[in-house]
Amino acid sequence: MKRTVPLIITFLTGTFLVMSFFVPHAPFGELEQRLLVWYAIVAGFTMLLGVDSLIRAHARKVARVREGWGFSLALLAGLVATVIVGVIGRVQFGSPFHIQSPFMFIYTYTIVPLQATMFALLAFFIASASYRAFRARNWVATLLLVSAVIVMLGRIPIGAAISQFFPVAQEWIMDVPQLAAKRGIQIGAALGAVSMSLRIILGIERSYLS
Amino acid sequence: MRAPALAAVIATGVLAVFGGGAFAQVGPAGTGTGDAGVAAFGEVDESLIPMACNVTAEDLPDDGGGAIQVTWGPLEARGTDVGILAYEILRYAPGEEPASIGEVAPTDLAYTDTEAEDGVTYQYVIRTKTPFGHTDSEPSMPAVASAQWFATGRLSILIVAVLFCGSVLYYIRRAKLGDELFVRKIPGLEAVDDAVGRATEMGRPVLFVPGIETVSEVGTLAALTILGHVAKRVARHGTPLDVPCADPIVMATAQEIVKQAYTEVGRPDDYDPARVAYLTYDQFGYTAGVDGMMLRDRPEAVFLLGTFYAESLILAETGHSIGAIQIAGTKETSQLPFFVAACDYTLIGEELFAASSYLSREPVMLGSLKGQDLAKLGIIFVILFAFVVGTAGLLIRSDGSSVLTRIFDFVHSWFG
Amino acid sequence: MGSLGMIIGTWLAGFLTLAILSFLYKDNPFYKLAEHLYVGVSAGYWLIYVAFFDVEPMLVTPFMEETGVEKWILIVPAALGIIMLSRWFPKTAWLSRWPIAFTVGVGAGLGITANLQGYVVPQVQATLLPMTGFNLVSLNNLILVVGVVTTILYFYFSKAHKGVLGVTAKIGIVFIMVSFGASFGYTLMARISLLIGRLYFILTDLLRVID
Repeated sequence: MKRTVPLIITFLTGTFLVMSFFVPHAPFGELEQRLLVWYAIVAGFTMLLGVDSLIRAHARKVARVREGWGFSLALLAGLVATVIVGVIGRVQFGSPFHIQSPFMFIYTYTIVPLQATMFALLAFFIASASYRAFRARNWVATLLLVSAVIVMLGRIPIGAAISQFFPVAQEWIMDVPQLAAKRGIQIGAALGAVSMSLRIILGIERSYLS
Repeated sequence: MRAPALAAVIATGVLAVFGGGAFAQVGPAGTGTGDAGVAAFGEVDESLIPMACNVTAEDLPDDGGGAIQVTWGPLEARGTDVGILAYEILRYAPGEEPASIGEVAPTDLAYTDTEAEDGVTYQYVIRTKTPFGHTDSEPSMPAVASAQWFATGRLSILIVAVLFCGSVLYYIRRAKLGDELFVRKIPGLEAVDDAVGRATEMGRPVLFVPGIETVSEVGTLAALTILGHVAKRVARHGTPLDVPCADPIVMATAQEIVKQAYTEVGRPDDYDPARVAYLTYDQFGYTAGVDGMMLRDRPEAVFLLGTFYAESLILAETGHSIGAIQIAGTKETSQLPFFVAACDYTLIGEELFAASSYLSREPVMLGSLKGQDLAKLGIIFVILFAFVVGTAGLLIRSDGSSVLTRIFDFVHSWFG
Repeated sequence: MGSLGMIIGTWLAGFLTLAILSFLYKDNPFYKLAEHLYVGVSAGYWLIYVAFFDVEPMLVTPFMEETGVEKWILIVPAALGIIMLSRWFPKTAWLSRWPIAFTVGVGAGLGITANLQGYVVPQVQATLLPMTGFNLVSLNNLILVVGVVTTILYFYFSKAHKGVLGVTAKIGIVFIMVSFGASFGYTLMARISLLIGRLYFILTDLLRVID
């Protein structure tokens, strides 16, 4: 029961999905859509487990007054407030995502700027990563550096001002060698993914249950 | 002929001034030529309004039934160049009156009737609606909706799937029968055990980040298979292992994997479910949380495996800043450069999916790698074959009429 | 929300923006606060999101409105979802492997078709290229074909990278590294413009230094 049933469930689900792709006739054709809806429903329930795990972890910190308990309290307060406000939005406006719902206020003034700022941090991180990547210590790293510099210069006006070579070379690198390697990697990865999926469906790969 | 044509010219001029929309409001479309706006400029002879022609209706191929595809050719010009407001699609079964089932913009020349009942014979009429009235096309030939048992448009995918899966299963079988299989060293995977070992020696935790996608994404599944291996190592040495998750299903799955690993090495009590925890589904919220864990818990080994997008660089750089040994892997080609720049080892694309086979060292699992290799050779053969045949074909006859070019075209279109 | 709400909101957004940016200096209480708030608020947001966009329209509403098979079949995913919650009780936690197996099956099933349809077949097709004569297009096609083939060979697992395979795999690495460099440079440029956008927010909306 503990191992066989899950293996059968995985086998059937995976096989039905593949069949659904090739067989449009009822009942197979619409199976993919149906299974994806089921997946979303299961994911919805599981979200409770997730939020519960988050609450427990931080409630424990607060209860035991561990280091940083104040931050954990802020996390819990933020979470609870958002959920309450979401429920209020649902009741009062019919949808938490209604433009006047306080839920959207929280979204607009916390999540949106936080997301945008984290994204902006990327510019700094990419600078520090470049510093390391560009200290070409071997021929492989030198290749990376040269191609990166050409592409960068090719994409800004200064590059074109120095020489027309940069925009032209930039385009060529992106369209030819860059594309070639990307395709090769994607073909290989896709084969690997298909093979792993096959192993999972057939129960050969069961490290997720083992 | 002259007088109506003149009226049409005037009407077209008015249309150009006011735009079609203005006229649409003057009178309900399809009510004939009695619109007030038109009357002011004279009547338009309905027989001169353009009419849709070549109306075809066919069962929609490769579907589960219930749909008929209707198309019509360009308008038949009949002397009047008035703006078209829309095409209305009328449908009737034997013994029924044509009834409207939908309308499309004047730029569209096709409509898919998704309300058809399988087995019923339908005919379609296209009504061309203009500000001055409408015309109805000749009815289409009868069509019947039906469901197909095979999506013929996906035949090439099926053949590729059968060949590929066959090759993988063949080598798995060979491996089961005892064939020795060689697999070359993959440095990133060789380093997995070293990384765990180093964390153990230093008495610091291992951080395993399984990407930000759900388990419906294969990259995440690949990461979870590696987690099983890492968890067993960690459990044996008693090294703390943290697995922050962005998806609750990934969390539940990861908890099962880690728990199982502790049970297998005989230390089920050491397993702490709180360490395999959900943070948030938000991409950067998760990133901020994991960054915080890195800075405060100072893991010695960091695994960044699975599906990553823009956050890859933030995570890898933070991991680097705390001096952890980092092993990353993803199939996202746009994120790989950052992992290569900031991590000690990077599993590129297929290496990530090969990991569980490689690490388990089970012959059956290694057999599947051999099968993948055979598929690669097959793909390379097809690419080179097409290259040689296509080039030779154009060398022989540059207008593309040689047999070789036709072979090339056949191979090319077969994949499409 | 009135204008007072907007003012408070903008200041809150500004505080959070600066708190996150302060991470660049080093880990500090402001960053910690912003980070914890971010995790908590977004976790709450996604809980509501999933309830409102997944569970309600996909399970609750159809269950109320549908009839017959369409109604009762919803018991299957609902049961899987509820069984997942068995993880709350150690005795029954093992049952959750069933819904987990279901989700893994979905992933594996999609993994086969999506990868063949989305990557293998179209990418191979796009690489079926001839040389059309002595011109630049031909040369590029030749380089593309060589690049794709050698990159694929770099991933050849069941033979040591020595001899001919060693040479081709090495050429593959050349392509891979040039490709990584190009992606890197491309993204670097894009990210910097994003940062400029964020700084612009601080200077205009928040501090009104620039109008």
